[in-house]
Amino acid sequence: MSVQKLKSVVIMLSVVVSFALLSLRDAHAVPSFARQTGFSCSACHTVFPELTPFGRHFKLTGYVISKSSKNEYPPVSALVQASYTEAKGLKTNVDPYDNSPLARFNLPQEMSLYYAGRIIDHLGGFIQVSYDGVGNDVALDMTDIRYANTTHVGKTNLIYGVTVNNNPTLEDVWNSTPAFGFPYAASSVATTPAAGTLIDGALAQQVGGIGAYALWNDLIYVEGSIYRTTRKGITRPLGAGTEVDMVVDDAAPYWRVALQHQWGKHSLSIGTYGIVARIYPSGFTSGSTDKFTDTALDAQYQYISKKHIFSAATTWIHERQNWDASFALGNTANMSDDLDTFRMNLNYYYRSHIGQVGGTVSYFSTTGDKDNLLYSSNPVDGSRTGKPDSNGFILEAAYLPWEKTKFSLQYTICNKFNGARSNYDGSGRDASDNNTLFLLVWLMF
Amino acid sequence: MKKISVYVIGGIFLITANLLVGISWVGISSGSEQDKGKELYDKNCEICHGIKGDGNGPAAASFSPGPRDFTDPKFWQNNVDQKITDAVENGVGVMPASDLNGDQIKAIIDYMSRSFKPAH
Repeated sequence: MSVQKLKSVVIMLSVVVSFALLSLRDAHAVPSFARQTGFSCSACHTVFPELTPFGRHFKLTGYVISKSSKNEYPPVSALVQASYTEAKGLKTNVDPYDNSPLARFNLPQEMSLYYAGRIIDHLGGFIQVSYDGVGNDVALDMTDIRYANTTHVGKTNLIYGVTVNNNPTLEDVWNSTPAFGFPYAASSVATTPAAGTLIDGALAQQVGGIGAYALWNDLIYVEGSIYRTTRKGITRPLGAGTEVDMVVDDAAPYWRVALQHQWGKHSLSIGTYGIVARIYPSGFTSGSTDKFTDTALDAQYQYISKKHIFSAATTWIHERQNWDASFALGNTANMSDDLDTFRMNLNYYYRSHIGQVGGTVSYFSTTGDKDNLLYSSNPVDGSRTGKPDSNGFILEAAYLPWEKTKFSLQYTICNKFNGARSNYDGSGRDASDNNTLFLLVWLMF
Repeated sequence: MKKISVYVIGGIFLITANLLVGISWVGISSGSEQDKGKELYDKNCEICHGIKGDGNGPAAASFSPGPRDFTDPKFWQNNVDQKITDAVENGVGVMPASDLNGDQIKAIIDYMSRSFKPAH
């Protein structure tokens, strides 16, 4: 471990332990939202970070629901993750076949500090600063600051608000959209498919935006937001510490509409979301841009009882890629391409007297047009066929001995990878060579 | 090596100092004797159902329908103890389930009955 990394770990660990011990003041160590409301974590979460109906309500009303009219102390929390990855060839090493133990074991995988809770009446925030134990850097992570209020339309209730955030779908309250969708954590050192849609995490901290939303009669949710690059301008603070390598030109509009219904222990939502963005080709910040249009559908179902939790979430994202700039630069073989992503996950947890135990079965699929220049042959992360098609399963088992600690064992099965099952990269690597075992310890304070 | 030692020592000092402060705080947090039912109600229910049990807690305005009004005579009809127990154990609507045990729920019911139930 380098001197710089050790220094960072010691400093962050000291701060994290400080907050951990601060939480002992209530004789119950709970994160800041739970401290603010006086509720246990299970009031807002099935298994963190998945939200219950009350948790969605808490987020929509601006993170301000509180047992007291004033904050007893700042709403701060902390997170520490440690992980171990078992896979053939890890992407942090120049030699893709290096299996050194140091690359596999990450302590920490991540450490974070949160300001999460009420700022003043009707104004709250979820602000995360993270130390990336793999990349060895500190940056502003997920950030969502919102003003919210309620009113009545006739006899019906209307929750409305304004959100400032730095990742499209971060402000969303369902776990069927990318930012808070499964898998909630994944290995930082394992090889991953080459292709992904823009809205599926590519813009995280690369953009900052403002939006308005409303939930009418606990039934219909609508939202409209505008995002701009965090490379410059008023949105720059929302990307603090992050290298902006995906530069959005001008403004990128985002939309979200969802229907939800709750009956007894059941809840169901269906919706649509999307974004249109013009992106400069890599290395450029002026001139022509490529246009990405993402349109998505999603759905989520939950059954929550005292002992049993069952939930299912799915999303399908269709992306239209217009290579107005990249084609002229010779970076793509086609003027335009289509890319589709589909994910579905089924979750079950049992609440016993010794903690929560359960897991997730998830299926993922990416399909798209063949483009030999966009998806070219390259050892490990390339494509022999010129196609982005990948699919497989993610199996995860988890145990939470108490609400703020999660041990999870995740196994990713790659059936097809970057366009083929065998020799997908043109250098003899098979899709199954990217099967990954990922052990994660997740501590919240 | 000198730089590493300074940071390690500094970190150990910070952790030790916080440990000592944290231990002392744990002692302060223990409460005095008081009505257990009221304490549980204040901690778990008041935020929505209000200090007077009338459904006007700090968070009440954002819910539709709003939290139950325990001062309404209609609430106390038809097997109310079982109704409260089911709601607390399993949740109802947006109201989340809790991890309170049977004795704690009974204490809350007793407090609610003494404090909010109309005389007639």
